[in-house]
Amino acid sequence: MEAYFIAIGIIALIYVILSLGLTLQYGLTGLINFGHVGFFAIGAYTSALLALKGVPLVFSFAAAAALAGLAAWPLGLVSLRLRDDYFAIVTLGFSEVVRIVITSERWLTNGVQGIPGIPRLYEGLGGSAAQLAVLVTVLAVTLVGAWIIRRIAGSPFGRLIEAIRDNEEAVQALGKDPARFKIQVLVVGAALAGIAGAFYAHYITYIVPDQFIPLVTFYVWMAIIMGGVGRVSGAIVGTAILMLFLEGSRFLRDIVPGVSEVDMASVRIGAVGLLLVLFIMYRPQGLMGDYTKR
Amino acid sequence: MTYTRRQFIGTLGATTALIGAPSILRAQSQGTFRIGALCPVTGSGSPFGSGMQKMIIAAAEAVNAAGGAAGRKIEIVSEDTQTNPQAAVLAAKKLIDVNKVQAILGTWSSGVSLAVVPLTNDANIILMNTSGAPALSVPPANAKGLSYRFQATNDRFGRAFAEICEKEGFKRPATMAFNNASGIGNTEGFRKAWEAKGHKVVENVVYEPNQPTYRSELQKVLAANPDVIVTGSYLADTTIIMREWYQSGQPVKWVMPGWAASPDLVKAVGPDVVEGVISVDSVSNENAPSYKAYDEAYRKVTGQPGQSNVYAAMTWDMVHALALAIEAANGTDTAAINAKIREVSNPAGQQVYTYAEAKEALKKGKINFEGASSVLDFDQYGDVTPDFGVFFIEGGQLNRRYVVKI
Repeated sequence: MEAYFIAIGIIALIYVILSLGLTLQYGLTGLINFGHVGFFAIGAYTSALLALKGVPLVFSFAAAAALAGLAAWPLGLVSLRLRDDYFAIVTLGFSEVVRIVITSERWLTNGVQGIPGIPRLYEGLGGSAAQLAVLVTVLAVTLVGAWIIRRIAGSPFGRLIEAIRDNEEAVQALGKDPARFKIQVLVVGAALAGIAGAFYAHYITYIVPDQFIPLVTFYVWMAIIMGGVGRVSGAIVGTAILMLFLEGSRFLRDIVPGVSEVDMASVRIGAVGLLLVLFIMYRPQGLMGDYTKR
Repeated sequence: MTYTRRQFIGTLGATTALIGAPSILRAQSQGTFRIGALCPVTGSGSPFGSGMQKMIIAAAEAVNAAGGAAGRKIEIVSEDTQTNPQAAVLAAKKLIDVNKVQAILGTWSSGVSLAVVPLTNDANIILMNTSGAPALSVPPANAKGLSYRFQATNDRFGRAFAEICEKEGFKRPATMAFNNASGIGNTEGFRKAWEAKGHKVVENVVYEPNQPTYRSELQKVLAANPDVIVTGSYLADTTIIMREWYQSGQPVKWVMPGWAASPDLVKAVGPDVVEGVISVDSVSNENAPSYKAYDEAYRKVTGQPGQSNVYAAMTWDMVHALALAIEAANGTDTAAINAKIREVSNPAGQQVYTYAEAKEALKKGKINFEGASSVLDFDQYGDVTPDFGVFFIEGGQLNRRYVVKI
C-alpha cells in the first residue's frame, strides 16, 4: 500500500512542478502556453540521453533544465508579436514539432522505439528506500520551486508581470518593455518543466514520443484551473485533486455493484470526466481561488 | 449556488473516505492465487483490450472449474492501461502493492510493457505481454527472465517477409513503414534478414500517420522501380496507399502484415485493386482443440468469432500456461513457477490442449501445452515463434497458399 502511495506522490509532485511553471506563465503573466509538454519532453530526453552516456545525474538534471529553458527563448521572441490565442496556437504547434523531431531523429532518440533502461535515482539504495528517497527529492525540489515562484510573485518583478497580464499597453506607457519580461517568464517556466521531465524519465525509466502528447499539457491546465489560477497553493492543491480523481476512481469498483470488471475501465474514465465538470460548475474560480468575487 | 472553500473540502474529503475505505478493510483471502489483468481497455488498444481482459477472466473460470491450480483458486483483479505508459505504471503499482497480485498478464503495446516490466522485476513477479518490440527480450527489460511474450516479435515478422520474398523470387524489394515501433520493426526486421541473405533493398520509406494522401511517399518508392513493396502498415493508411498506387498504374507486388491486408481492406478498395497482394499473419493454432475451446469461450462472452481478436487467444493461453506452471510447481513461489513455465509448454511431453486434461496428464508425467494462439514454445528469451500463414488475395478472397516456419 505504501509503495502505491509513494508512486502516486512522485507522479503528483512531477505534475506540481509542471503546474508551477504554468502558474508563473499563465497565472501571473497571462501567457497562454499550450505547449508545456514540449519542454517536459526536452527535459526528459536530455537527461535520459546524458545519463545513458554516463553523465552524473546532477549534471544531466541541470542540462535538462538549461536546454528546456533555452528552447523557450525563440518562443519568447515570437511572443513579442503575438497575443493570447495566437500565442496559444504557436505553443501548441511548438510542442508537436518537438514530438515529431523526437520521433524522426532516430539516431539520437531511437525514434518510436523509445529509450528503455534509463537509470533511476538512488539506484544504490534499492527497493522501497530508493523510492522514498526519490519522493523526498522531488518534494524538496517542488518546495524550492514553489518558494521561488512565491518570491517572484511578491517582488517588483512579480507586480510587473501581473501588470503585463492585466494591461500590456499601460506597462508600455510606463516605459517598461513587456517582451523582455515575457521571455524571462517563459524561460523560467520551461526550465521547471525540464526538471519535471528529468524526474519523469528517471522515474518511469522508459520514454517514448507517445508519452509527450498534448494531453499532458491539458492535465496541467486542468490542475491549475481547479486549484485556482495565479496562486502557488492553487497549483499544488489542483494537482492533488486531479490525482485524487484519476487514482481514486480505481477504487470505484469496491463500492459500485453490478458493473463487470471490463466495463469498469470505461465507467472510471467517465466518472473522472463527470467529476471534472461538476467541480468547475460548482467551483469555477478553483479551490484556492478568490471566491468572494465572481 | 455558492460553496465556501470549507464546505467544498469537506465534501471532497468525505467522498474520498467513502471510496477508499472498503479497499483498506479488504483482507487478502486465503487459498487463492491472485493475477492482475492489465489490458488496454481504453485508448488506442481498445478494439482488443476488452476481449483480452474477458478471456483472462474466462480462462481463470475454466481453471477454477477444473479445481484450480495447486489447490488454489485463481482470482483476477483487472485494471486498465489506457494504452498509456504512465497510467499503466500507476495501475501496475496498484495491482502489486494494494491487490498483492502474483503475476501481471495482458499488457499490449510495447510502450506499456517496457514501462511496466521494471516494476514486475522489482516485485519479482511474472509479466506476460503481447508486444512486438525486440527490446523486451533482453536485459534490462528481461534481466530476470520473468517476462514472457505471446506475440511474434516484429523482427520475426520481418524474417518471415524475407523468406516469402525469396520463395516468390523477388529481386528488388522496397519497404514502406508507418512511423511507429511496430511498423518500423517490421520493415527493419525485413531489411536485416534480406541483407543477411546477400540481397539489397532498393528503397526504404517511412511515413507519418493520419495523412490524407501518401502520393509523395509512393512516388519515392516507385521511382526506385521495385518489383515488390513490403509494408509495415495499418488498415487506414494501407487503404489510401493502395488506392493511390492503383491510380498510378505502375505494376508491383505487395507483401503486407495481416492486420493491414485483411478482408476489410478488400471491402474498402475493391477486389481489383488488391488482387495478388500477399498477406502475412501469425497463424493461430486454429486446428488445435485448445483453439476450439477458446473460440467457444470468446463467442459466448463477446458474440464475435475468436478469429476477430488474435490477442485474446494469447491472453487465454497466458492463464493456461501460468496455471499449469503453478500446478507443476505445487506452490505459489514465483521462482518455482517461473522454472516450470517452459517445462509445461515446450516439447517433449504429452501434447495437451485444455486445462482439465493437462492437469490430469501432469500427474502421470511431462506435458506440452499447445495453445490457442500458437504451439506456445518459449525460447531462452521467453519469446514464442508462431508459424506464419501466407495468404494471396484472389478474387477478393484471402486464400492461404502455404505456411512459413522461421
